[in-house]
Amino acid sequence: MRMRKNNSFLKNLTAILFCLFIGLMLLLFLIFPKGHYSSNEKRYLNAFPQLTLKTVFDGSFGKEFEAYLSDQAPYRELWVGLNGYYNLYSGRNGVSGVYSCDDNYLINVPINTNDGLTHNIKVLADFAESTGISTTLLAAPTTGYIMEDLLPLNHLPYMDDENFKSIYTNKGDMQLIDIRSTFKLSLQQGNQLYYKTDHHWTTLGAYTAYTKYCDALGLIPTPQDSFNINTYNNFYGTTYSKSALWLNPPDTIDVWTNKSNKNIRVKIIEADKTKAYNNMFFTNRLNDDDKYPVFLDGNHSVVKIINPQSQGGRLLVIKDSYAHCFVPFLSEHYSEIIMVDLRYYNQPVSQMLLSEGIDSVLVLYSVDSLATDKYIKFLR
Amino acid sequence: MVHNNKQTADYLLWGDTMVFSSLVFLFIYLPPVLLIYHIVPLRLRNLFLLVVNLIFYGWGEPAFILLMVFSTLVDYTHGCFIGKYRDKNKGLAKGFVISSIIINLSLLGFFKYAGFLTGVLNLLPFFTIPTVTIPLPIGISFYTFQTMSYSIDVYKGDAPAQKNIIAFGTYVSLFPQLIAGPIVRYKDISHQLNHRKETLKGFTLGVRVFIIGLAQKVLIANQMGLLWNNLNIASNSNGVLGNWIGIIAYALQIYFDFNGYSLMACGLGNMLGFEFLKNFNYPYISQSITDFWHRWHISLSTWFKEYVYIPLGGNRKGTKRTIINLSIVWFLTGLWHGASWNFILWGMYFGMLLILEKFVLINFLKRLPVFLRHIYALVFILIGWIIFYFEDMNAMVSFMVNLVKPTNGIISHYALTLIISYLPLLLAACVASTPIPVKLFHKFKAYTLCWIPEATLTTIAMALCTASLVSQSYNPFLYFRF
Repeated sequence: MRMRKNNSFLKNLTAILFCLFIGLMLLLFLIFPKGHYSSNEKRYLNAFPQLTLKTVFDGSFGKEFEAYLSDQAPYRELWVGLNGYYNLYSGRNGVSGVYSCDDNYLINVPINTNDGLTHNIKVLADFAESTGISTTLLAAPTTGYIMEDLLPLNHLPYMDDENFKSIYTNKGDMQLIDIRSTFKLSLQQGNQLYYKTDHHWTTLGAYTAYTKYCDALGLIPTPQDSFNINTYNNFYGTTYSKSALWLNPPDTIDVWTNKSNKNIRVKIIEADKTKAYNNMFFTNRLNDDDKYPVFLDGNHSVVKIINPQSQGGRLLVIKDSYAHCFVPFLSEHYSEIIMVDLRYYNQPVSQMLLSEGIDSVLVLYSVDSLATDKYIKFLR
Repeated sequence: MVHNNKQTADYLLWGDTMVFSSLVFLFIYLPPVLLIYHIVPLRLRNLFLLVVNLIFYGWGEPAFILLMVFSTLVDYTHGCFIGKYRDKNKGLAKGFVISSIIINLSLLGFFKYAGFLTGVLNLLPFFTIPTVTIPLPIGISFYTFQTMSYSIDVYKGDAPAQKNIIAFGTYVSLFPQLIAGPIVRYKDISHQLNHRKETLKGFTLGVRVFIIGLAQKVLIANQMGLLWNNLNIASNSNGVLGNWIGIIAYALQIYFDFNGYSLMACGLGNMLGFEFLKNFNYPYISQSITDFWHRWHISLSTWFKEYVYIPLGGNRKGTKRTIINLSIVWFLTGLWHGASWNFILWGMYFGMLLILEKFVLINFLKRLPVFLRHIYALVFILIGWIIFYFEDMNAMVSFMVNLVKPTNGIISHYALTLIISYLPLLLAACVASTPIPVKLFHKFKAYTLCWIPEATLTTIAMALCTASLVSQSYNPFLYFRF
């Protein structure tokens, strides 16, 4: 008799679990401390919206409250991860903007437009022509293009070949360093050129591009064994955050230091503030959630690298973040390198070329950036 | 892929109310409402419901609470007078019915159609009046129709006038069906307002129905919406098959969106002791357009049939009048869906098909093999959804051309890649739009321990819905605009 009663109560298990679920979520939401910053999303989380008669009556409180709740949901990361894995296993690999690939690679899906490419290349070519300074263009291919064999069977095409074709057509007098075949060859030799959880190239990838750069400019690259290589663990990059596939293992990040390069000075210039350092590698940044700024402290408006030992000339680099782990290799060959990030630097670069006595220019972007960048067009 | 994984909640930018498929509703509003509702004494439950209804409604747009209170008071007063004079002075009672209808239609007309109307008038030569844009109070299309049904039901003697203003207010503002239906006729619910019974069995049924609705909305409709958006932006290059699958995805989105919301409404109703009538009955297994409209948004077609078509004389006054009556009803049905030409066209399109079926095609269809009847119905339903989707006539025509233009090829690599990745969901959605899952469930129900898999599945569905809502909040509920 007792058994039967139990059984009939348990028939309502669906409802019991539902009530427990929504009740528990409410309770946890009320008692959990609220987060301020999401390192995965690189943004501040929504705080409790302003509660006044006005905000309630114009409806803005109600609207902002949902955003607040969604940011502060109990076990938010867990839910986001569950959704990521559900999407993946229900067939929609790539729906988050990242393909989960073989060998634990998380690779950005192809960009869906290259509308800006022709114009950006033309702006750069015109700039090179107007300055008369010899200009080299180095474009990093996308991870997906180079590592195509690892991609899921059902994936959209990467447009690198088409984009390089357009770069060749519009590059004017710029010398293009095309590293596609070098990278594919190096990959076949088993080298890891790109991170598994980040969109950037690895230090080895940057080094491979550097040797190709030296070939093109008649420089002698520093051999690999002249470097001290320090490996740091637990690097979770941008594609990891985007994918929400939290169980994917982390990358290691390699920092290559040239033993003979002792007197390097680095100046980081933001607006009118200048900070001076004597190292290109900011190992303190390895404690951050985002470890990539270990190279030259990440994104800054202007960064100068001065090498008093070098007899080389003065190089200006117009770049995106792919340059950060690449440029340290060049410090060997130039007495001064000035890196300019057009996203933050809006003064005329041509004036800087004159005032700093620059004798060569390197333009270094990923192909995707060249195709989509919104700041190159302001270059003057 | 181009799937946009928006981090901001779309519906926050677009709709201004609390939707069932939102975190606020599920985890902040619902737990205390359910708890307190079942604790307070019976006689206070309607009052409690009225209060939480207004909180629900006013969450995003508190100003419109006043409109709802106004509507409630006006219709309550009218109802009292109609009830009072119904037997003594038929003419006076009729006057009150007309007055109630005029007031309700004026509210609807002003808030929903004023902008459209000024736009239309400005099309006429020598006519320039400033175009007005008035924000559309959420659910106004639904609750004005409900209050009109009240006046008419009382007048016709189908239900007694509601003496208790709290019970009446509860009916008008009842949160489960407030913003997206089903349109509950007063006579279907008048008894439940004061004499409903909340049982554990009913509650469990409600939870199950609610979770199925939530899963339809969040796990199917939203995803089909993404597929459709991503295919639609490339409709010029998708190829013929790619575009057909695109419009199928849209058809699935709109059905699971709306049916999901109706199921959530019914489920919530059950949890509170109410019983609402079914709003959808597997519309995509229809064998004709007539069949489709017996299965799609049943509460709306019933409303129009009962309160417009039959009072106009229905089909009892000869073929000519029947055609005119059907035309009127379907013009209004189209207009009800939105103040835009394409909705009117959509209504007229179905009106025309229904007239054709009634007078011409009926015998021909009967002789057709069943599967051809299904294909016939689906093709015309899908064309209907194209008209429904595109407010811009040029875009509508160009999409239709892309459905048949062979020069675009069969399917592009982009469309194929996208469709393959959505294929498991697409197939699941197709199966879920047929009675197969429910038939399986009923077979299963015979086993004594069926509550174990049931509870497991519903809990998994809840978890996936929560995961989806927390992570993307892509949630534009299509039917709010109507």
